[in-house]
Formats: sequence, C-alpha cells, structure tokens
Amino acid sequence: MTMTLRIILVICSLISFILCITKIKQAKLKVTNSVIWMIGSVILILMSIFSGAVEWIAIQLGFMAPVNFVFLVMIGFLLIQTFVDNIRICNLNEKIKDLNHYIALKEYDEKEK
Amino acid sequence: MKVLIIIPAYNEALNIVKTVKDVTENTDYDYLVINDCSKDDTKKVCEDNHFHVLSLPTNYGLTSVIQLGMKYAYQKGYDIVIQFDGDGQHQAKYLKDLVKEIESGNCDIAIGSRFVTKKKPVSMRMLGSNLLTMAIKLTTGKTIKDPTSGMRAYNKQAIERFVKNASLTPEPDTLVYMLKKKMKIKEAQVEMSEREFGESYLKPLKSAEYMINMFFSIIFIRAITRKNN
Repeated sequence: MTMTLRIILVICSLISFILCITKIKQAKLKVTNSVIWMIGSVILILMSIFSGAVEWIAIQLGFMAPVNFVFLVMIGFLLIQTFVDNIRICNLNEKIKDLNHYIALKEYDEKEK
Repeated sequence: MKVLIIIPAYNEALNIVKTVKDVTENTDYDYLVINDCSKDDTKKVCEDNHFHVLSLPTNYGLTSVIQLGMKYAYQKGYDIVIQFDGDGQHQAKYLKDLVKEIESGNCDIAIGSRFVTKKKPVSMRMLGSNLLTMAIKLTTGKTIKDPTSGMRAYNKQAIERFVKNASLTPEPDTLVYMLKKKMKIKEAQVEMSEREFGESYLKPLKSAEYMINMFFSIIFIRAITRKNN
C-alpha cells in the first residue's frame, strides 16, 4: 500500500469516528446503531497502520495487490450493513402497519358505540 | 356460520355504492368495507351511505387491507371470511356457492374461479395465469385453474393462519403455502365483469414485477413450507 493511501484511510476513518461520536452526543444516533460504524473505522485505522500484516494476508490469499484486499473488506462491511438495514426497515414497516391497523380498528369501535 | 365479506377499496368512490348494494341485496352476510386511505371521496361516500367502513390512516396496499380484515374477523369470531373486490368486477350472487363449499367441509379455502367449466381465453394476462397454475402444479401437485382470482373464501383455520403469519398475502403464493399446510382448496365457477370505473390494483406496468415476485415466492419460499406447526 502506498503512503498516500494509508494517510487517506486514516483521515477518513478518523472523520467517520468523530462524526459518530458527535451525532451520538446530539442524540441523533443511538449508541447501539453506531457501534458498528466505530468498529468499521477502527478496523480501517488498524489496516492502514499495520499495512505489513495486510500485505502478508493479501499475498497468502492470492490477491494481485494488497489494496484490493482493503477494498474487499470495505465492500463486505458495507454489504452486511445494507442487509442489516434492510431487515430493520422491514421490521419498522411491519410495526407501522400494525399501528395503522390498530388505529383503524380503534376508530371503528368508537364509531360503532 | 358467521360470514364476513371484506371489501377492499382504494379510490373506488364511483364503484363502492354499487358493490355494497350488490352484497346487501343478494346476501344476508355481514360486510366490511376497508378504505385503504383513498385519495378520492371513498370515505365520504361510505359514511354518507352509512356503510360499515374501516378507514386506514395511511395507504399500505391490498395485503395490509386483507390482513386487517382477517384480524377483525378473528377478534369478532367469524367462521368464514370472503374477499370481495370493491371495483364492481365480482358479483355477490356467487358468494353463496363459496360459503356452501366451505360449510360442507369439503375444503378450507374456496375460490371463485372463472375457468372451472369454461376455457381460458388467450391473452397476455391469461398467459400469466397459466404460468402461475403451472408453478403451483409443479410445487404442490394440485391444479388451481384461476390462481389470480380475487374472490376467495377462507374458513376459520385459514383466518387464524393469516392472523398469526404476517408474511401471508391475498395472492397465489399464499395458496401454495396453504396447500403445503395440508389445507384443501376448491374452486366454484363464477363470472366476473370488466371494471367500470377507476384503476385496478394491478396496473399493466406492475404486472411483470408481480409475476417475478410470485415466481420467486412460490418456488423459493412457499415450496419449502413444512406441513407441521
């Protein structure tokens, strides 16, 4: 990995880390939801600091260039995140639907009385 | 047996009066119009005519409407629920046949089918219908001649399944699920007219998406339903 890439990775991870913490303080993000982003940025920082280890793993796994391995890890991380988000959206959708039904039934009961 | 007719209505201000009149004049079953947050005057028309109407605060689609109807029927202890379109395509005089099928104990779900004794016409829509019939035959071994028919009667066990499993829809893939659960489905010949006013839930552009959803659901999800629990 080149020095420039390592520096960019460290800066980006730091920014996302700080963003998470400030958003939690502003109460716009729940701790449980943001932990995963913090873990993600920590992993990125570790990968740019210990680039030797990353290069060793990448070569062992047969990657053409170590940076490809870094990208793969990031893509995997994002894929898991979107999938988890998808499940969350479905759950929320179900809950809103149930509330919707509850309101409709309640209104009807009151009207019939 | 206590029978409830659920009439889903979305932007059906022009059809709903005729539909409800048809139901009340030709049958003596209870009915419930469920207004899926229509943008037109459906709610006002129903209230002005003193219909039994349940109004949802936000639009969530046909599946949500049927699930709500099932919840209502379950709470009030109805034995049979019939799904009946609010757009004037269905004719209430055939509802007795569906109820008779279920009351005789021959089946758990009765479908008002256009093609029991009559042949399917040739059209794009019927090609879709044929493909669904094939998919159901392939996964369950049973033949359902009119899987997309919106006129269906469900008995108590089927109502309970709807209430307990939120993934069930009023669509052909649920028929596969029910068949896999060892429930019996029968078809009774009915006639349906073309809709007079308004738009259907199934717009032409959405048909392709609908077919893809149905195939994935039938082949990958409903086909591996286990018969227990």
